[in-house]
Amino acid sequence: MKLVTDFARQFGVDLRIDECLIVRRESRCFLLNESLKKLAAKDFFHAGIYLGKTKKDVFFPSFSLLTMIAEKKANKVFVDRRTEWLFICGRDIFKQGIKKMEGSKRKGGHTLVLNEYGECLGFGRIMHDLGEATDGVVVKNVSDIGDFLRREK
Amino acid sequence: MSNRSTSHSMSGQEFFTNRYRELGWNYEPVKVTSAIRVNTVNIGRQELLSRLASRGIKLGKIPFLENGYWVHESKFSIGATSEYLLGLYSIQEAAAQIPASLFTELKNKTILDACAAPGGKTCQLADLMQNNGTIVALDIEKRRLTALSNQLERCRVKNTIVYDMDARQVAELDLKFDRILLDVPCSGNFATDRQWFRRRTIEDVERNAGLQREILAKTARVLKDSGEIVYSTCSLEPEEDELNINWALQNLNLRTEPINCPGQQGLTDIFGKQLHHSVVNCRRIWPRETQGFFVCKLAKEEGKR
Repeated sequence: MKLVTDFARQFGVDLRIDECLIVRRESRCFLLNESLKKLAAKDFFHAGIYLGKTKKDVFFPSFSLLTMIAEKKANKVFVDRRTEWLFICGRDIFKQGIKKMEGSKRKGGHTLVLNEYGECLGFGRIMHDLGEATDGVVVKNVSDIGDFLRREK
Repeated sequence: MSNRSTSHSMSGQEFFTNRYRELGWNYEPVKVTSAIRVNTVNIGRQELLSRLASRGIKLGKIPFLENGYWVHESKFSIGATSEYLLGLYSIQEAAAQIPASLFTELKNKTILDACAAPGGKTCQLADLMQNNGTIVALDIEKRRLTALSNQLERCRVKNTIVYDMDARQVAELDLKFDRILLDVPCSGNFATDRQWFRRRTIEDVERNAGLQREILAKTARVLKDSGEIVYSTCSLEPEEDELNINWALQNLNLRTEPINCPGQQGLTDIFGKQLHHSVVNCRRIWPRETQGFFVCKLAKEEGKR
């Protein structure tokens, strides 16, 4: 599915998924296994791995998809514990909160945000070249796992 | 004492607590201890424990659950940690963790979770299956289905399909199941609802019991011959518990199976009515550290398959 692979490419990842196993239900996309595929002929609400949804041609990735991308060699920043929580609360990332970087550091690109255990917390847009910036906001929060709490409200 | 209980009303605290006394338990207010369950498919138990300990969260092992822990102390909500949001654990009341743990062998099986939302037990089943096999989860109402879908995403469940379907329509799927979890809609209990005695009447209990029998009857038809059903409620009312199991034994060619979990044996003398002797295989958990709960394992009666 082009929407999904195009999204992954923003992080420098060439994601290969068997298209036959991707199923769309209205605006939402799911990645199924062979067993679930057989059950998907009947209208379902959720199945397998939720990949994301489209709204007005914009793709909104699921956290499962972000985790799949994070398993590859992708643009990543690893943040400290304090920054981890601030990011989950919807805040942007300051240069001082970044412990390690991988992949592209260029302004305007996108990067996954991971904690010190290498777990994907979400993603953001690079606001200043990560190699050059010394302080201030360098990654703008686009989406974070705190969304699970916000959805409940 | 509730005003509703002063006459001959079939509701109110006095009415219900008198019933509990007749069943052999003296009512006492309880405070249910919070509990979590480690999602072992996503993290090892020891690793999670040490991460939560470093956040000042004090846990204690729940002796009757492999992956369950009491939350003894936490300075903040146990649902407000990155470990929770990453699906490394779920917040799941201790007694509610029992039903899924009672099935024998789940890996690579086809499981029906007939009343699945909000999804705590569905995620537990997926964890026990290590994301192998297939779970068919049913529920109704968009709000409930959305909550279930969010849980599945958070816990990184991969082997589940969710249908917007009333459990009583399960035959439409044209499938047979190895295991069926029936955590049926019930009247609940006072331990998790302060207003319970004000809200509930015996009519509610009887209405729920009727719905539960319908779900039992319809789902028993889609159980494979060698399959297992685990039936559970968080109701203390025997109409929804032992009496429904007794009805299932008489009408659905099912038998009870012994189970190893806390709680007292199912009651076989309910308000003077004698039930089938094998109802003792059920477990009735009066509230204390856990909420009130009832659980029973059923299988097809041999020779009547």
